[in-house]
Amino acid sequence: MSDDLLRSNQLPGVTRFKWQQLLGPIVVVVALSYVVSGISVTFTFLTEGTLALLVMVLGLQVFIGNSGVLSFGQSAFAMVGGFATGLLTVPVKIKENVLDELWEPLKAINMGIWPSLVIAVVIGAFFAFLTGLFLMRLSGLAAGIATFALLMVADNVFFNWRLIGPGPQVMPQVPKFSFVDESIILAVIVMVVVYLIGISRRGRLLRATREDPLAARALGASVWRLRVLFFTVSGGIAALSGAMYAHHSGAVSARDFYLGFTFTTLAMLVIGGATSMWGAVVGTIAVTVIGQILLEFESGVTIGGLEITLPNGVRGLVIAAALVAILIWRPKGLTGGREFSLRLPFLSRP
Amino acid sequence: MIQTILDALSYGGIYGLAALGIGLVFGVMRLVNFAHGELIAIGAYLLIVTIDLGLPLSILIAVTGTAILALLMEFGVFKRLRLAGPAVLLIASFGVSVFLQRFYEIIFGALPLSGQIAPWMAGVIEFGDTTITRGSVVTIILALVLLSAMWFFIEKTTLGLQIRAASSDFQTARLLGVRSNRVIGAAFVFSGVLAAAVAFVLVTQRGSVDPLFGVNITILALVGTVIGGLGSLQGAALGGFAVGATISLLNSFLGNYRVYTYTWLFILVIIVLLVRPGGLISNKAVKERV
Repeated sequence: MSDDLLRSNQLPGVTRFKWQQLLGPIVVVVALSYVVSGISVTFTFLTEGTLALLVMVLGLQVFIGNSGVLSFGQSAFAMVGGFATGLLTVPVKIKENVLDELWEPLKAINMGIWPSLVIAVVIGAFFAFLTGLFLMRLSGLAAGIATFALLMVADNVFFNWRLIGPGPQVMPQVPKFSFVDESIILAVIVMVVVYLIGISRRGRLLRATREDPLAARALGASVWRLRVLFFTVSGGIAALSGAMYAHHSGAVSARDFYLGFTFTTLAMLVIGGATSMWGAVVGTIAVTVIGQILLEFESGVTIGGLEITLPNGVRGLVIAAALVAILIWRPKGLTGGREFSLRLPFLSRP
Repeated sequence: MIQTILDALSYGGIYGLAALGIGLVFGVMRLVNFAHGELIAIGAYLLIVTIDLGLPLSILIAVTGTAILALLMEFGVFKRLRLAGPAVLLIASFGVSVFLQRFYEIIFGALPLSGQIAPWMAGVIEFGDTTITRGSVVTIILALVLLSAMWFFIEKTTLGLQIRAASSDFQTARLLGVRSNRVIGAAFVFSGVLAAAVAFVLVTQRGSVDPLFGVNITILALVGTVIGGLGSLQGAALGGFAVGATISLLNSFLGNYRVYTYTWLFILVIIVLLVRPGGLISNKAVKERV
C-alpha cells in the first residue's frame, strides 16, 4: 500500500514552525529571481515563467505532498485560472474582434490585473471544491485516473467551447505584468501559505492520514474533508499559476496546460521531493536550470573551439530520464522530502 | 448503417487490443503503463521504415522490435521499482513515455513520417447496395483472431495460468512457486505484441507516424482498462471494446457536437470510478476508498 515517494522520512513531517524552514526557501527564490532577471530581458522573461511554474508546483505539493494522493487534475484548475484572468483583463475591443462567439456578458467585462487575479483564484478554488467533493472519495490509482479524466474533460471543454474562450485558438493581448517584482511577490505569498497550511493542525492531520489512514481516522480525522480542503487550496493556487502564466506570456490557450505542462510540473515536484515546500522549490529550480542549459546546447554551443549542437528533443529526454532515475534511486527527491535546513540541505542521506 | 456498426466493431476491436495489452501488465504488477503508447509508436515506425522489405518481413520486424522494447522497459525501469506503489509506477511510466517520445523525435524527427502499409486495406467491398471498407473488416478479423489467441494462451497454457494467478494475488502466486520475474517478463512481451498489432491497424489507417502517435489511443485504452476493471483481463478487453465502440457511435450520432465526445466519455469514466472504484468487473485487490 505504501508509496515511498509520498512518504516523509521525518515522521510525521514538520510539526513545529521554524523560521529557517520558511525564510530559507524565500531568500533563495527572491535572491535568485533578482539576480537572474537582472541579466537580460530574456532572463527576466524566463524568471517570470519559472515563478509561475513554481507556484504550480507549490500548488501540487500542498495537495499531493500532504495527502499522498496522486492528482493530475490541478492542470485543469490552472486552465480555469488562465482563462478566467484572460477573459477579465483582455480589452473589450480585442474580445469583440477576435472572440466573436463569446458569451455577451463576458465580452463587456474589463478590469485590472490584481482584482482579476483574486477572482481567478476564487473561481479555481471553487471548481476544485466542487469536483473535490466527488473525486476525494477516491484514493490511490482510482484517484490518479479520475483526476486525469478531469484534466481531459477540462481540455476538451476549453478547446471547443467558444462561448467561454477562444476555443482551439489563442486568447491574445492579455495584459502583461510590468515588473518581475509582481511575480516574485505572488510566489512568496504562495510559499508562505503552503508552508503555514502544511504545518497547521489540519496539515498535520492530513499527513497523518497519508502515513496511516486507519490510525488517523481513529483519532477523529475525516480523510475526505481534509482532502477536499487541501484540494480546494491546491486548486486556487493552481489557478493563480495559470493566471500568472497568462500575464507573463501575454496570451493563453487550452493547450498551454495540457499533458506537457502536467508532466513538467509533476516532474519538478517529484525531482525536488514531494513532501516538502523546499522540495517544490528545489525541483522547480533544478529542472529549469537543466532545461535552460540543454536549450543552449540545442541551439549550439562552442566549447574550446568545438561546436556542439544537440538535436531538438534532448531537453525533454533528459528531464524525463532524470524523473525516472530519481524515482529509482532517490524516491524522496533531491531534498529527501525535508524542509530547508542550514545543515547539509542536499547531502544528508535519508 | 452497416458501415456504422462495422466501424464501431473495428474501433472497439482495436481499443480492446490496446486495453488488453495494458491490462496484462497491470494485472501482474499494478502498473498502469502510460508508455504503452510508445510501444505502439515504435511498432508503427518499424513498419514504415522497413516496408520496402515486403509486408511479412516488415511485420515480423515490427512485432519483434516492439516486444524487445517492452522487455527493455521492464528491465531498465520497472524491475527496479518492484517495491514501489501504483502511484509511483504510474508517474514512472509517464516519465518513460515522455522519454521515448523525445527519443523518437531525435531519431526520426518531429514531423510525421509517411508510408503506405497495405494500401489495399483502403479499398471497399460491395454487397449489393452497401459498401464497406476492407480496413474495418480486416481490423475486426485481426482483433477476433488475436483476442481468441490471447484467450487460449491465458486460459489453456501453464504460463497463462500463472499470469492469471499472479493477476489475482501476486504474493500468494509467488509463494506457490510462480516465478514472478518470468511472468512479468511474459506479460510485457505479450503487451508488446498486442501493441504491434494495434500499430499495424492504426498506421494503415493514418498512413503516417509521429512521436505522439500512440498517446491518444493509450489514454482511451487506459480508460477502457479502468472501466472494465483493473486486474481483470476479460474486463480490460471488454472495457477497451466498449470505449472504442462508444467513441465511434458518439462520433456518428452527435453530429456537430462530436467535438464533445471526450467530455461525455471522461465524465462517464469519473462516474464509473466513483460508483465502482475497482471497475465494472472488479477485483478486490485494487479497491481502495475513503
